[in-house]
Amino acid sequence: MAVMKKSYLFGGEKRWRNLAPIYFLLPGVLFYFIIALGPSIATSIYSLTDASGLRGADVNWIGFDNYDEFLFQGLASRDNIDATLRTLRFCAIVTLVQFSIGLILALLVNQKLRGRTFFRTLFFMPVILGVVIQGLMWKLFLQPRGGPMATIFGWFGAQSEFLGGQPDEAFMWVIVVQIWANVGITMVIFLAGMQTISSDLYEAAKIDGASGWQLFRDVTWPQLTPAVNTNFLLNIIGSLQAWQLFLVLTGYKAGTQVLGYLVFAEGFGQTGEAPSFRQGFAAAASMVLFFLVLVIGFFANRFVTWRERKFL
Amino acid sequence: MSVRERFGRSNPSLDMKLDEGTSMTTRSRQIRVVSYLLLGLVAVFYIWPLFMLVNTSMKTLPEYLKDPSGLAESITFENFVEAWQLANFPQYLWNSVLYTSVATAIFVASTLFVAFPIARGYFRGSNALLTLYVVALFLPPALIPQFQLILNLGLYNSRIGFISLFLINPIGMIIMVNYIKSIPKELDESAAVDGSGYLRFVFSIVFPLIRPAVATVTVLHAIGIWNELVLPTIYLSSSEKFPITRGLIVFEGVYGSNWPGIASAVLMLMLPMLVLFLLLQREIISGLTAGSIKG
Repeated sequence: MAVMKKSYLFGGEKRWRNLAPIYFLLPGVLFYFIIALGPSIATSIYSLTDASGLRGADVNWIGFDNYDEFLFQGLASRDNIDATLRTLRFCAIVTLVQFSIGLILALLVNQKLRGRTFFRTLFFMPVILGVVIQGLMWKLFLQPRGGPMATIFGWFGAQSEFLGGQPDEAFMWVIVVQIWANVGITMVIFLAGMQTISSDLYEAAKIDGASGWQLFRDVTWPQLTPAVNTNFLLNIIGSLQAWQLFLVLTGYKAGTQVLGYLVFAEGFGQTGEAPSFRQGFAAAASMVLFFLVLVIGFFANRFVTWRERKFL
Repeated sequence: MSVRERFGRSNPSLDMKLDEGTSMTTRSRQIRVVSYLLLGLVAVFYIWPLFMLVNTSMKTLPEYLKDPSGLAESITFENFVEAWQLANFPQYLWNSVLYTSVATAIFVASTLFVAFPIARGYFRGSNALLTLYVVALFLPPALIPQFQLILNLGLYNSRIGFISLFLINPIGMIIMVNYIKSIPKELDESAAVDGSGYLRFVFSIVFPLIRPAVATVTVLHAIGIWNELVLPTIYLSSSEKFPITRGLIVFEGVYGSNWPGIASAVLMLMLPMLVLFLLLQREIISGLTAGSIKG
């Protein structure tokens, strides 16, 4: 097939021919190393310093002090550890609910129903709007005095302060918005998986007399394994790192902080009282988050591979 | 175990099935009704917030305070005019358009020239480089060192520094590489025989062929920049440089309880995205689904 050798490509002098692709590749690769890869790796180094966000300020090597302060200072570390545990709780609830609702919605709009395109578009819409619009929309919807959700609560004789309420309550509503905003992606990934399942399988199962539930259990679910696994991993990793809706909905409110927000707030002086740019500490906090994602991601991945072997 | 095997054991007789004929249609009608009920219930929580936004934007402030959820008494666009002027909207909007278009253009062009030789294996270590892009998806966030870098380069609160943060998107790179692999390599060879230069070849032959991938990547990247809130909060301090997302948060901070004003501002930010979404739905969905791998 390839009669032509690489060196004959792209006319002109031989040496230039070979190098042309390299020259044009350089800007992109340089951007990547300088802006993304380098800083990413440097996070671990910064976590061992007392770097601040001031230009020209001294950066001193302080070993593992930041980690020590984050984790092992007893009462003083309490907030950090709480934020870590809260991140795990956030992850567990969001993954479980978003996965389930996404699957149910995909099953529903995968049927031959009139208006299914409308529903698909509608449920996916928030994904493209971004956190600012998602957040402000729900802040309005969750107005405690006479807002729509308060009205719905009123029908059942219930009352809530929603985002302005107790930390646990506010936290719960951020979870609701998080799921509302991202379930569209989960749904679309499931849908894409469902559309690759051969209709022959369903026909065969139907001839054999399978009921609706059996069709799901014995055809759809095992055949959907790649999409199930993708969504499972994406939901876990995504929700561990998610925090921006908190920024719009509640601000840095005590008792609602998650790790991602803690990194931002500590690093960029958004903690409220006497804010300072504690970037070394923030880098350490983001390393903790990174390890959390790594460890949980590792086990989730093991689980997923095990499932694949079982079903495929 | 195959599906057939599984159901083989409980295979009901044929006449039993015939009996079920009528009840099956009733059953599928039931399923249909339940499906619509469920979809409708969920849809309420997607349509109502949207409607609430439009409805609120039409109200006067006293009208809103009296009954936040009630229907607007009349249709006025005064809030839009007011928000447009008060919020410094034209400036924010212009900034957003500028950042999004410049960064996306540079990103797509530079990435094309990285993706093409990687996909073709035109240099030693091209696979290793691709691996480096994939690995980055699993590394710790670059937030802090990136800030130190920009700060020490003196690019804090500068448009150039801000734009330079958006020149990279590993997912977009990977989408492009995979797409280019589907283009026959013979094309390169015939172009070389015709004596076409590298630059001309990539722009006038490769680019048109991978347009679907470019569309997906462009849309994915542009939406990400347009919606970005954290980076402008970190890197821009003067309000005349704010993109519209940051501007909106500032507006919300200042006019905290003036929801008619905020609602109309939100709608103005939302409208271009909604139009774009309805026009380019396929590219957007495929881009964001691929992009969501980043999590």
